[in-house]
Amino acid sequence: MTSGSSPMSRRRFLGLAAAPVAASFATAGCGDNTGRPDGDPGTLVHWYHQYGEEGVREAVERYAASYDRARVRVQWTPGDYATRLLAALQGGAPPDVFEYQTKVDLVRAGLLEPLDDLIADVRDDFSPAALAIHTVDGSVYGIPQAVDTQVLVYRKSLLDDAGTEPPRTWEALADAARTLTRDGRKGLFLGNDAGVSVAGPMMLWSVGLEQVTADRRPGFADPAAASAFERLRDLYEEGTLLLGAPTDWADPAAFVQELTAMQWTGLWALPRIEEAFPGDYGVLPWPRFTEAGADSVPVGAFGAMAAAEGGAADLAKDYIHWLWIERTDLQEDFNLGYGLHIPPRGSIASSARRLASGPAADAVDYVDELGRPSSPPEWTSAMDAAFKDALGNIVKGGAAPREELERAARTVQDELDALFD
Amino acid sequence: MSAAGRFAGRVPRVTVGAVVLYATLTLVALLFLLPYLLILRNALSTDADITSPGWSPLPRELDWGGFAALFSGRDPLMATGLRNSAVVAVLQTAGRLLVCSAAGYALARVPYRHAGKLVLVVLATLMIPAAVTFVPTFVVVSSLGWVSSWRGLIVPGLFSAFTAFLFRQYFLAFPRELEDAARVDGLGYWGTYWRVVLPNSLPFLAAIGLISFVESWNSFLWPLVIAQDASMWTVQVVLSTHLTAQTADLQGLFASAAVSVAPLVLVFVLLQRHIVYGATEAGIRR
Amino acid sequence: MNGTPRRRGWEGITDRPAWAFWILAGPFFAGLVVFGHLPLLWSIYLSFFEARNTVTPTEFVGLANYARMLTSRAFLDSLLTFTLFALFVVPLTFALSLGLALLLHRARRARPLFRTACFLPAACSYVVAALVWRLTIFNGLPSGLANTVIGHFGAAPIAWLAVTDPPWYWPVLVSLRLWLQVGFYALIFLAGLQRIPHSLYEAAYVDGASPGWTTFRHITLPQLRATSIAVLLLNLIAAYQAFDEFYNLLGADGTYPPYARPPLVYLYYTALGSGQDLGRGSAGAVILALLIAAVTLVQGRLLGIGRGPR
Repeated sequence: MTSGSSPMSRRRFLGLAAAPVAASFATAGCGDNTGRPDGDPGTLVHWYHQYGEEGVREAVERYAASYDRARVRVQWTPGDYATRLLAALQGGAPPDVFEYQTKVDLVRAGLLEPLDDLIADVRDDFSPAALAIHTVDGSVYGIPQAVDTQVLVYRKSLLDDAGTEPPRTWEALADAARTLTRDGRKGLFLGNDAGVSVAGPMMLWSVGLEQVTADRRPGFADPAAASAFERLRDLYEEGTLLLGAPTDWADPAAFVQELTAMQWTGLWALPRIEEAFPGDYGVLPWPRFTEAGADSVPVGAFGAMAAAEGGAADLAKDYIHWLWIERTDLQEDFNLGYGLHIPPRGSIASSARRLASGPAADAVDYVDELGRPSSPPEWTSAMDAAFKDALGNIVKGGAAPREELERAARTVQDELDALFD
Repeated sequence: MSAAGRFAGRVPRVTVGAVVLYATLTLVALLFLLPYLLILRNALSTDADITSPGWSPLPRELDWGGFAALFSGRDPLMATGLRNSAVVAVLQTAGRLLVCSAAGYALARVPYRHAGKLVLVVLATLMIPAAVTFVPTFVVVSSLGWVSSWRGLIVPGLFSAFTAFLFRQYFLAFPRELEDAARVDGLGYWGTYWRVVLPNSLPFLAAIGLISFVESWNSFLWPLVIAQDASMWTVQVVLSTHLTAQTADLQGLFASAAVSVAPLVLVFVLLQRHIVYGATEAGIRR
Repeated sequence: MNGTPRRRGWEGITDRPAWAFWILAGPFFAGLVVFGHLPLLWSIYLSFFEARNTVTPTEFVGLANYARMLTSRAFLDSLLTFTLFALFVVPLTFALSLGLALLLHRARRARPLFRTACFLPAACSYVVAALVWRLTIFNGLPSGLANTVIGHFGAAPIAWLAVTDPPWYWPVLVSLRLWLQVGFYALIFLAGLQRIPHSLYEAAYVDGASPGWTTFRHITLPQLRATSIAVLLLNLIAAYQAFDEFYNLLGADGTYPPYARPPLVYLYYTALGSGQDLGRGSAGAVILALLIAAVTLVQGRLLGIGRGPR
């Protein structure tokens, strides 16, 4: 926040009524230090979520420090980043710059600044898929920072020992998980919630469905989805999934510590896996489930965004332009210097040697051939919560899949109606 | 049972009953202390040792890296969190003692005609647990522009109906003679409260203050809701954040937990008498 | 007002009851109104509006938010979760803390030592306790403490917090709260025990009662009536407000599983988390506040609070 945006100015209801009280508290010694460098119009606050890879935090702080038209304070946010960001946006204390997904409800509520003018000159250099997930009604609200994907990582030697081929179908995956569960090790790790929070979209694609259809209706209240999720429940009940690990699916620790033979995790985790088991691992997409479905990997891209409210939007946009468009060297460093991400700009991605060979190259191929956006703009956090609730009830609560999916579909339809009528 | 202990065993001798009693108590005490032991054990073990198979009650090898990292600034959030918690707990405790003791005194002693009705208002407010109103309170505080601010963290916690009520009950039983003497010396109600009643209520203030400090230091939901900006997180929020994140530095996390809980454990051991007094007062009077 | 001439200036002003009252109690009542009553009123107001992604809504929707909450299975489930939780926690806390108090009361040697040990958990926050419970006692690995213990009996490791059938997360949640609060309530009981006059027991022995269950039932328990009511009430209200240990034991990176979700956790995600819907969140808060008020009133009636000495 800059001092330019007085917090009182946009209070419509309570501001006046409570002002005298507020003033009396301020004089009572409670101070008004908000922890922000108020009174310095040239300061931007920039929020990142926590990247698990060593060195990213130091890197983004270094970038911020080398911007010379304003001071930038980086906030590094471990844990529940989305809730914090959404509450800050809604509660009237948003950061000037932040990374997030473009969502229709946030655009409709007027919380995001359109960024079309920043990207106009270099639009063609950006991955169309990455740009598409930041576009609502033809306007771009986030400058893609990195393209991320997730893959199934497996230990070659463990599969060889067990006489198992890398699984390319759902049945093979379930069999492999069973065979590889031995010696105090589990076969497969889909996260501590048995895949409920991460596997949903892939399960739908694997039977030829999607979260929201092109005509903006929920696309998952379908018998095919119901039977797919029932199979996920079978997997959970068989006891071949790793559960209760110290870290979750996004972190390779469970795989590296040999608690599991296969793990669904992010492309970003490959450097640590390479370090632990050089050459002894491979990556696969999420396997298809029925003939109607397809192998898939999810594609996501956090974008750099500016808060619409507040007086610093112009400065924030200048900073975003400098960091994510002008300084291609920083974008390269950010994507390839620490963990592993695919640079969203073709001119950088094509020359990235770290992505040119081995499992990383396989993952990049999967993105090109099988990638689907896992969280498109019309898929809001409320819809996601309802969908995950249904999945949780089906997989872990033993609930009837049809009813659960239909209930979630009603919530999603409700949200869609509110956003697109 | 309790009576039996008091009256049956006047002559100290070792009975089966006594052995069972002390054995049970020792076991319970160890069980109660075990989680603290685990915090220390993990803070002094490497991550690999914490998760490696084969459980051991003590660290395999003492490793001070967790504590060292905490104080070398590798995790600035934790240092900031500890500082924020200290500021919030101290200011909130002091402010609450002042605001609520003054109100309690007025409700107990000032012959204002609406005082009786206002006591009822306080009692009615007690019925609504503060935690249930966190959503609307967030709305009010965010409308004041106090999200992610010291004010937002501290001020809403100052006006505890429960604490004010406790003070009223306490002052109702305060010896009148002292106040009468003060009034003869020309003090008004404020002077009597400030110069005579408060200085003579220090044990009660200490007791309520300690309880309030612990509550403030350990509170989680409100700081979680109101401190969106990491620079305002309290130590509980920082710990929770690392705990529910996708990745974890286990040793660092437990070292931080140890540091966050150590001051309170120390206070509890040293000032146990006051805390027990305050806790029982708070418990019984409610 | 006695108007003693010696009180002038400030002392004079603060000697008038109305002035004195509001000087002393004014800040408190102002705060109580702004941060206690106003939020409640405003949440009632908000609960009648469509308030997604905003705190200043404009679209009046009548009772729609209430209808949605009361027909939301997730919200009703959260009330059930609370009820289950309270059914475990309240009686267990009561019995264990009373038992511990009786033990402490009997121990004449080293009582302060034992008392300190039992009271120390009260210094710990729910967050830190959750950390210990989740990551080291009840983690899903064979190396977890609980799994090591059951391993000695030949049982296979359990993923305590991730398994729903059987619901192993309940012992985790309940044991955490018991650890944190049993010692505290035991001290309250101990204080109550110490206030029981010895003469009552002596008279009973004269009448031929033997120490043990009879005197406990007919003297100790009735004498602890006030303390027991206080412990029950505090406990129940605290259980209603459960948030910290649930959130920190079961929450993960912005998601919370659909089971074991108490009301406050549900409201947190509805209003501020993924839901971003202050209208429904407020409606839920109002419903919950009414429910708690009703329960407190009924319980007060049943247990006879407000009658007789406090």
